[in-house]
Amino acid sequence: MRVFGKTTIDFLAYRKVFYFISAALITAGIVSLVVKGLHFGIDFLGGTELVVEFTREVEIGEVRSAMDKAGFGDAEIKTFGSNRDILIRTVKQGAGTTIGDQIREGVATHFKDNPFTVIKEDKIGPKIGAELQRDAYLAVFFSLVAICLYVAFRFKFVYGVGALIALFHDVLVTIGMVSIFDGLTPNLNLEISQNMIAAFLTLVGLSVNDTVVIFDRIRENKKIFRSMGLVELINKSLNETLSRTIITSGTIFVVLIVLFVFGGEVNSGFSFALVVGIITGTYSSIYIASATVVEWNERKARKKAA
Amino acid sequence: MRKYRFRVIVVAASVLLSMWFLFPTYQDYELSAQKKALSGADSLQFVEQHETEIREYRKKRIKLGLDLQGGMRVVLEVNVVSLIEKLAKNKDDAFAAIIKEVRQQVARSDESPVVLFRGECEKRGVRLSRYYLNLRDTDDDVFLFLEDEAKKAVDRGMQIVRNRVDQYGVSEPSIQKLGGTRIIVELPGVSNEREVQDLVGKTALLEFRLLKEPEVAARVMEGIDKFLASKDSTSTPEDTTNITPEVEKTPEQFAKEHPFFAIAGFTQQGVATVAEENKDKVRRLLDRSDIKRLIPSDMEFLWSAKGQLGQDGKKYFTLYPAKKAAELEGGVITNARATIDPNYNQPIVTMEMNTEGSREWSRITGANINKRIAIVLDQSVFSAPVVRSKITGGHSQIEGMENLEEGKLLEIVLKAGALPAPVDIIEQRSVGPSLGEDSIRKGLLSAGLATLLTILFMVIYYRTGGIVADFAVVFCMLFILGVLAYFGGTLTLPGIAGIILTLAIAVDANVLIYERIREEQETGKTLRAAIDEGYAKAFSAILDSNVTTFITGLILFQFGSGPVQGFALTLIIGVAASMFSAIYITRIFFDIMTDKNQSLVNFG
Repeated sequence: MRVFGKTTIDFLAYRKVFYFISAALITAGIVSLVVKGLHFGIDFLGGTELVVEFTREVEIGEVRSAMDKAGFGDAEIKTFGSNRDILIRTVKQGAGTTIGDQIREGVATHFKDNPFTVIKEDKIGPKIGAELQRDAYLAVFFSLVAICLYVAFRFKFVYGVGALIALFHDVLVTIGMVSIFDGLTPNLNLEISQNMIAAFLTLVGLSVNDTVVIFDRIRENKKIFRSMGLVELINKSLNETLSRTIITSGTIFVVLIVLFVFGGEVNSGFSFALVVGIITGTYSSIYIASATVVEWNERKARKKAA
Repeated sequence: MRKYRFRVIVVAASVLLSMWFLFPTYQDYELSAQKKALSGADSLQFVEQHETEIREYRKKRIKLGLDLQGGMRVVLEVNVVSLIEKLAKNKDDAFAAIIKEVRQQVARSDESPVVLFRGECEKRGVRLSRYYLNLRDTDDDVFLFLEDEAKKAVDRGMQIVRNRVDQYGVSEPSIQKLGGTRIIVELPGVSNEREVQDLVGKTALLEFRLLKEPEVAARVMEGIDKFLASKDSTSTPEDTTNITPEVEKTPEQFAKEHPFFAIAGFTQQGVATVAEENKDKVRRLLDRSDIKRLIPSDMEFLWSAKGQLGQDGKKYFTLYPAKKAAELEGGVITNARATIDPNYNQPIVTMEMNTEGSREWSRITGANINKRIAIVLDQSVFSAPVVRSKITGGHSQIEGMENLEEGKLLEIVLKAGALPAPVDIIEQRSVGPSLGEDSIRKGLLSAGLATLLTILFMVIYYRTGGIVADFAVVFCMLFILGVLAYFGGTLTLPGIAGIILTLAIAVDANVLIYERIREEQETGKTLRAAIDEGYAKAFSAILDSNVTTFITGLILFQFGSGPVQGFALTLIIGVAASMFSAIYITRIFFDIMTDKNQSLVNFG
């Protein structure tokens, strides 16, 4: 079976249009980041978080008034997968399990006829939160640098730059989307947790994976078609790898959709970020990474001419 | 076929090896499934019958992370500032101000509290020796002393926690040091926060307890033994007069007549020794209410903290019959030190007590010469020395350690009474077993579904090539799990996500190769030449893209913690496994198939 025969799409001709689209997406993301911000999870903020499973469904509002009465007016309350499972989180700190006990008590006094069990309880001290946050930034930063260096070493310096810009683009777009989509539907909790950081790093890996495959083809074609212009050469390489790009990204996309739908509450943020990431990662390989190489060369040519 | 022999052997060997590593995991699964099918008493009996097997397989199976099986993770931090405060002498207002300032700094800084404390003292022009050691000591001396004390406090904290966790009977607990001052405790299957709070947060209790006289102990144990024998033989009454005591009894017979002594060997010193494999059984016995009635109310059985190797190579624990009331509590100890006695070249531990303690101690030792006093930390016995003489002045010396290491352990234990390591819980996560099961189900469901879809798609799109790639995916999965089992790795939910992603990467490698082969075929190359070219040309792209993923995995493993590391680990293993199966293994299939019958091979 064959979905794509030989194609001769002039990908790079439309690149200016796509710069605009990218810029628009990133701007929208940044606006959302400034206005709405990111939703940091307990991993990074510290505090106490309980997931309570009731015997029968409850109203979120009821849980909220229970918490107000128990002195946790600032607590965040949302459903965790189903309407029987409620997540209660507060940034309040206390010795031992005091905060958790107070929350439990508050729930128990309010829902006397609806027995519950605590299925998850996390308590994170403020120092640990700050450390996890720092480690996460370091992890993302170092992997970007390491990947850039590797690509620059295996290809040419400008390709490393192209890959790096594409990665920043992907991370920015995805963070923006996470900020925009968080909480849009009641079951979409896109908070920045350790799992989300893992998702971002995977996204970085997948995106660069895609970029490298295209660069590899450019590198190879360059040796064969020595006299061909760079734009034509890159277009040729993009067309030759198109079939693979679509099939691989498509397969991963399907896998992630399955993970998003069936993977449960714990995996949903992770797979959401990756679904966005695989789309922008595939697109950025063409319109950011390869286009950067073209722009760089054209600027160099212009300088020479001038 | 001969020319493929080597490669086929390599693949077969890797597959067999992976299966070998996974066998315990499979067996463990089977045994727990069998156990689950049984109810109450039957399942207990099943556990007793298969105790060694279960333990053996447990050790070697792939462990499930706390997010999958439920359990609790606690990170403790030794409160070094409190320790510094406690160690100080001649505390004054200036000292209190310094401590207050340091406490605030610690909350913000990553620097070690001892360094911060020194800095603050220097800033205020206060010499450290004003509060520690002797006035003549330099700041450097005191600094080293405090650093050393901080390190010891972490060891002490670990020992205290380990001791309690061991008694608590959690299966596969993990207790690790993290950085300079932290202890990570992971307790699978535990979800009761309050119990864990006691387990890790309570101040350690060190006691000196007299052992019961050997005659009393013997009487009590005989009572238990007789009681058990009579209970067991009610179904098959035996005429005891027929048995001549002179005849050497077979172990089975002995076990029948003396069900207790068969598993708890009584010694002349008035204690019992129990092989490790029987420890749980004896523990369960002693917990039975009908047995508890046979033990005098002022006595209880305490276990030794550590087992000792017997002549048969088995580990034996000692069961001490101790008095319930403590003679003295560990708070009176001011110092303890393990050294080598220069006169006899034997390890000894010296122990100092405060005035009040010394007075009590001299009374206790004076009244109990030639009796044994057990040193008990949180209900486990670390040593039970015999009192040789009345000890006045509070200076005692404990002998009889096998080696200096044992002495050091006793030192830690004695100090735990003197200077309980102040620990704070800075992170605590618990996942209930139901959420764990739910996560497993959803994780496996999505993994299965994703794999199925991918496998189907590959076959439809690439025909024979797809089938071969699917085999590669299955092999890849097997290798990842095999390697994970070999390294004693832990499977977490993000870990499953990592596996799914690696499978996608493995498929991608084959997609790259097949697309290349199709291109080569379109230029009119023969099948064999197209396959050769396809593999050769796709290789650099596969390598480069996998190396970048590998790098991400390594960095993630380095900087991530807990669940994220699980993801990184499967990603790292997966990248290697996927390259092996997607490039090396599929190639063998194609080479053999093109040799045999070219019409078999079809890339769609």
